[in-house]
Amino acid sequence: MLSIDIRDLSYRYRGQKTPALQSINLQVEEGDFVVVMGPSEAGKSTLCACLNGLVPHFFRGKFRGEVRVLGRNTREHSVAEMAELVGLVFQDFEAQLFSTNVALEVAFGPENFNVPWEEIDRRVRRSLSLVGLEGMEQRAPATLSGGQKQKLAIASVLAMEPKVLCMDEPTTDLDPVSKLGIFAIADELRRRHDMTLVIVEHETEEAAKARRIVLMKGGTVVKDGPAHEVLREVDLMESIGVQPLGVPQYFHAMGSSELPLTVEEGVAEFQARGWRIDEAAYEALRRRDAERARSYGEPIIRVEGLSYSYPGEVNALRGVDLEVRRGEFLAIVGQNGSGKTTLVKHFNGLLEPTEGRVYVDGQETTKQGVYKLGQKVAYVFQNPDHQIFSDTVYNEVAFSPRIRGCSEKEIEQRVKEALEAVGLVGMEQEDPFSLTKGGRQRVAVASVLSARPEVIILDEPTTGLDYAEQRSMMELVSRLNQQGHTIIFVTHSMWVVAEYAHRVVVLKDGKVLLEGPTREVFAREDLLRETFLQPPQIVSLSNCLGKTLLSVPELVQCTRTGG
Amino acid sequence: MDTYLYLDRNTIVHRLDPRTKIMLMAGSFVMTLLFMHPAWVAMALAVVLIHGAVSKSLSNLKRIWWILFMLFTMGTILWALFSSGPTPFVGPIEWEAFLFGLGNALRIDTMIIAGMVFLSTTRNEEIVLGMVKMGVPYRFGFALSTALRLVPTINATVYTISQAQRSRGLDLDSGNAIVRLKKNIPLVVPAFLSTIRSTNVFGMALDSKGFGARPTRTNYLRVGFKTADWVFLAIMLGLLIPGIYLWACKLGRIPGLTKF
Repeated sequence: MLSIDIRDLSYRYRGQKTPALQSINLQVEEGDFVVVMGPSEAGKSTLCACLNGLVPHFFRGKFRGEVRVLGRNTREHSVAEMAELVGLVFQDFEAQLFSTNVALEVAFGPENFNVPWEEIDRRVRRSLSLVGLEGMEQRAPATLSGGQKQKLAIASVLAMEPKVLCMDEPTTDLDPVSKLGIFAIADELRRRHDMTLVIVEHETEEAAKARRIVLMKGGTVVKDGPAHEVLREVDLMESIGVQPLGVPQYFHAMGSSELPLTVEEGVAEFQARGWRIDEAAYEALRRRDAERARSYGEPIIRVEGLSYSYPGEVNALRGVDLEVRRGEFLAIVGQNGSGKTTLVKHFNGLLEPTEGRVYVDGQETTKQGVYKLGQKVAYVFQNPDHQIFSDTVYNEVAFSPRIRGCSEKEIEQRVKEALEAVGLVGMEQEDPFSLTKGGRQRVAVASVLSARPEVIILDEPTTGLDYAEQRSMMELVSRLNQQGHTIIFVTHSMWVVAEYAHRVVVLKDGKVLLEGPTREVFAREDLLRETFLQPPQIVSLSNCLGKTLLSVPELVQCTRTGG
Repeated sequence: MDTYLYLDRNTIVHRLDPRTKIMLMAGSFVMTLLFMHPAWVAMALAVVLIHGAVSKSLSNLKRIWWILFMLFTMGTILWALFSSGPTPFVGPIEWEAFLFGLGNALRIDTMIIAGMVFLSTTRNEEIVLGMVKMGVPYRFGFALSTALRLVPTINATVYTISQAQRSRGLDLDSGNAIVRLKKNIPLVVPAFLSTIRSTNVFGMALDSKGFGARPTRTNYLRVGFKTADWVFLAIMLGLLIPGIYLWACKLGRIPGLTKF
């Protein structure tokens, strides 16, 4: 039986010129597992909102066509009525949790449907055990980690016992293993409860677990088929700005007609073809790494025995020692709540050590203060919307030099430089809020560059961006590094670390667990997994082949096909 | 960062029915407003503090002591300045006016502390449920609890934003009042926008969880009157009825106060 039946669906939000969805036709069988992928503005979230009637009931706009879920027409039923059939989990898990303890959060949905108390109690216990949060009934949601919050959001929707579960980018803010946890739950639901699953996801390694993949772009479906087929469409995926899976991308680049999908299949195929890793090419890569490491300058940040605890809470950092040299490109990784952001907030004085010392440019941060440190160490926050307030891009970027008393001429020069660096020349008079998330992220970077800092800290610079935007953001950061800025960034995105960072610091429970050049850190797959991290597929493949290669081009470069 | 005033403690006050807690708070307000003389108001304050001590919620005073202190000093001075009496005291302030200022400031602080004890011992969901059981429509009760919930959320957002702007060189602590007010623009704009955005998601999440799907709803939280509820209400009435009698006898006023 059809679970979801979408016919000729077009939708345009009020006040928008272009439609968000155009002539969508999509039929999903009961118990199917569909992942929807596509670049920003592809219409993925709008499609989700159509499934439970948020479009057209909550949002205003022009709706054409028909959406039926288990026979129920979304146009004729309110969102609350549809909620019994379709559960919707949003990307922003903070905003969708509003109860004071976990059990009440889960009970909220069934309460609204007037489900008898005993039944609610049963559902609360069952939903929580399904997502692995049993025993946390009395905890306040605010005290949970990011991964746990998202699991709670899922449990709170499951308690309504929907037939269709739709999740809109549920793993965006999660560490790699928490991401896998969400997909493990999805798999469990499908197998045990025959639930229809629709998940919007931008990371292909997760999407590979689906049975079917729908690729969208510009409000239309460009490809719809079994996952194993769609994942082999390397060129198509790249052309619409979706990251292809590393293993098939590698074999595609090698000109192979047979495209394996998993690491195991990849290893088997590699060996069956009699390919080898070229030792000389690999040594050349390692020499390049070593040369680069020698080119760094004096230490600019020095951390000694740093511990920090937030008022009334356990220690977020416990005895961290670290040195960052001029010109480095450093990634700080670790699971949700491991202390990454807390650590980097010490570098520009936003936080002061509870114990230990942090030196910037040879002087203790506590003696310099945020204002003075701000000229040497810039900090780009995760959410550009927490920072932008001006009516034009120019004024936003001019804010920092202006506040430091620069002359108008000097300001003009610095704004020009900063906008050139981020590629926003010509946008000076635009309203920053009218830009895309990627554009606003660039404005945020430009607005700290105008202070001409030596060190730039970026907190999750790629979160919420699509693949093409992530690449262009990291290319920008990479350019800044080549121009002499020291870069320190916090991230969950392992492929970004592999391809861009020179050195990696892995934090676990507030301590440095592992630290070293990117290649050496990614060689330690077992240890990484302990900290809930997992190298990208292509790196795992190369590790299985006995060498650590960090990107598809590197592996291609080091592959010897003949004799 | 803990964003709620609620303290998850298992005291006899926490276990009371939310209706009882609402009535206790209302009773505290009435008792506080009956009298004007600071000595009498202080007795009401003492009762509220005992209530707070029994519920182990006085630790929250640390979080609001600054507001209490400011209201107390400013209130005492302003009310004293705007009223008068026959007995000279300090400068332009007469003794009766001073007592009046002190009494009113104490009243405000007492009511805030009573409110704090209520919020420290009552979950958001209990507040809604208590109101619903007292005849308030569910939607109204829910709206009120959402407003309560929003305050700490906005606080947390403003904290993040102020860190982002300080990193860019914004110095919020220097300059005169107008300069400092102007400096807050970089905080207000993003705070306002992100609140609207998260409220939007909140609205969608509510609808998606079937908010208002049925005319009646189940309450997972179980409440009911137990012996302790009757005991607390009896104590409250035991204090309130004599209090009203004394008020009717015109006790607890400030003789000679002429203008207020």
